[in-house]
Amino acid sequence: MHAPHTPKQNHLLAALPAADYERLLPHLEQTPLELGWALYESGGEQGHVYFPTTSIVSLLCIMQDGSSAEIAVVGNEGLVGIALFMGGESTTGRAVVQSAGYGYRLRASVLKTEFGQGGALQHLLLRYTQALITQMAQTAVCNRRHSVEQQLCRWLLLSLDRLSSIELTMTQELIANMLGVRREGVTEAAGHLQAAGLIHYSRGKITVLDRPKLEARVCECYAVVKRESDRLLSRETAIVDPLS
Amino acid sequence: MIETVLNPLLVPPVGPPTTQSNRERAGQVARRASIENSRLAAVPRKEYRRLLAGLEPVTLTFGEVLYEPGETIRHVYFPGSSLVSLLTLVDGHLTLETGLIGREGMVGIPLVLGHNVSSVRALVQGTGTAMRMAAARFSKEFRLSLALQQELYRYTHTLMAQIAQTAACNRFHVVEMRLARWLLMTHDRVKSDQFHMTHEFLGHMLGVRRVGVTKAAHALQQRKLIGYSRGDITVLDRRGLEAAACQCYDVVKDMHDGAPAGHAVRKMRISACLTAQIRSVRRHT
Repeated sequence: MHAPHTPKQNHLLAALPAADYERLLPHLEQTPLELGWALYESGGEQGHVYFPTTSIVSLLCIMQDGSSAEIAVVGNEGLVGIALFMGGESTTGRAVVQSAGYGYRLRASVLKTEFGQGGALQHLLLRYTQALITQMAQTAVCNRRHSVEQQLCRWLLLSLDRLSSIELTMTQELIANMLGVRREGVTEAAGHLQAAGLIHYSRGKITVLDRPKLEARVCECYAVVKRESDRLLSRETAIVDPLS
Repeated sequence: MIETVLNPLLVPPVGPPTTQSNRERAGQVARRASIENSRLAAVPRKEYRRLLAGLEPVTLTFGEVLYEPGETIRHVYFPGSSLVSLLTLVDGHLTLETGLIGREGMVGIPLVLGHNVSSVRALVQGTGTAMRMAAARFSKEFRLSLALQQELYRYTHTLMAQIAQTAACNRFHVVEMRLARWLLMTHDRVKSDQFHMTHEFLGHMLGVRRVGVTKAAHALQQRKLIGYSRGDITVLDRRGLEAAACQCYDVVKDMHDGAPAGHAVRKMRISACLTAQIRSVRRHT
């Protein structure tokens, strides 16, 4: 039997002081996030922000010719819909559910009001934005400087950190699209990792068998991104809710 | 303190003997330089006056490092005619420009987000004017000014779009297109047809080897879009350069201009291929 879902599975919501959390709670609506569902599209208006709990959302940059590259991945450590409170009315990218699960959504108007009051939620969301900026910049440089295999390791680890399982549902083609590389490149890289006993790949399911070894192979970009989001939350829990 | 001396509006008539003419001159410099920056120019006059008290005009020099990754931010900068690159480092030395900031922006965005440490190297790549403010003063002013908050949140968002576009651009576009884009972005910010730039420096910006830059610059030169001599790049044909650049230039420019004109077009062309693949994954599950 599955454990009941609660908004506190999202780390940002969990880090809110009790009073702020209670105020938001009636507005948080549990939503299944299905694989491939676009939470927002380039240029489209956003009616909600999403706090993933058991799902992962990819932020993609879409080029004119239709090719795409993942610029960040958001899971239970963050939220999707930065543009809403940053005041950019639309986004340039697209947010697509990369791993199905659940999340909680909040209406744009509620979020804007809360953010405008400048309390703990505003503080948390801004700090998360900083972590997201670091992730995006690191992804940019990783795209440029590191091998497909290293990038695949980074992508797998970042995804795993945002899930409670060791298994990902994913085709190589989709990974190739996320990473913005040719499928052959992903096949080759995944082949190496499988031969080394790090992962097992079969029929659209990737199981991570040896996480420490995967961490040994990954480029530094993974650690940079992880450190940033860890620091965000550890400091926040200390500052925002010293009693917990 | 230099900041109080430089501000003609808030300096009380008592205090250190500063001649009126000096103060006036400093005030003029301050006013002129800060208006150059469009974020400051967008703040309502009354709030701007209060900000001015904490702003100090400085000259940023090519090659100067404003922040290193992991360092505490001591000042924020509002460039006027200067230009600042945000470089992300990997493996200790390889760099890539993930943001370019000129008169349209501010250097020190982590402070806007409540964080006082830089995660990037901020390197001056175009000598020129800027206004700077001490970090503590900025944080205080920022809390007080709703207008400044709105301006800088929105700017942060466009900077994020620039980073995202750079990430994708690095993945898909050839050096020649990326160089053209970079030259256009620089041209927009410095408002001069000529700027000094070595191939090695450009290599750091674009994340490619110097040879790659040399080849791309040569190609643009042959097409008579730019002139290049001893590190001086001259934009000869801006329209031609726009045609040679990848779409990423327009996308980011639209964001900065606040006119999402390109977006509708982009939306229409969203990857049919990606959608099909997602569907196929869905069928498996």
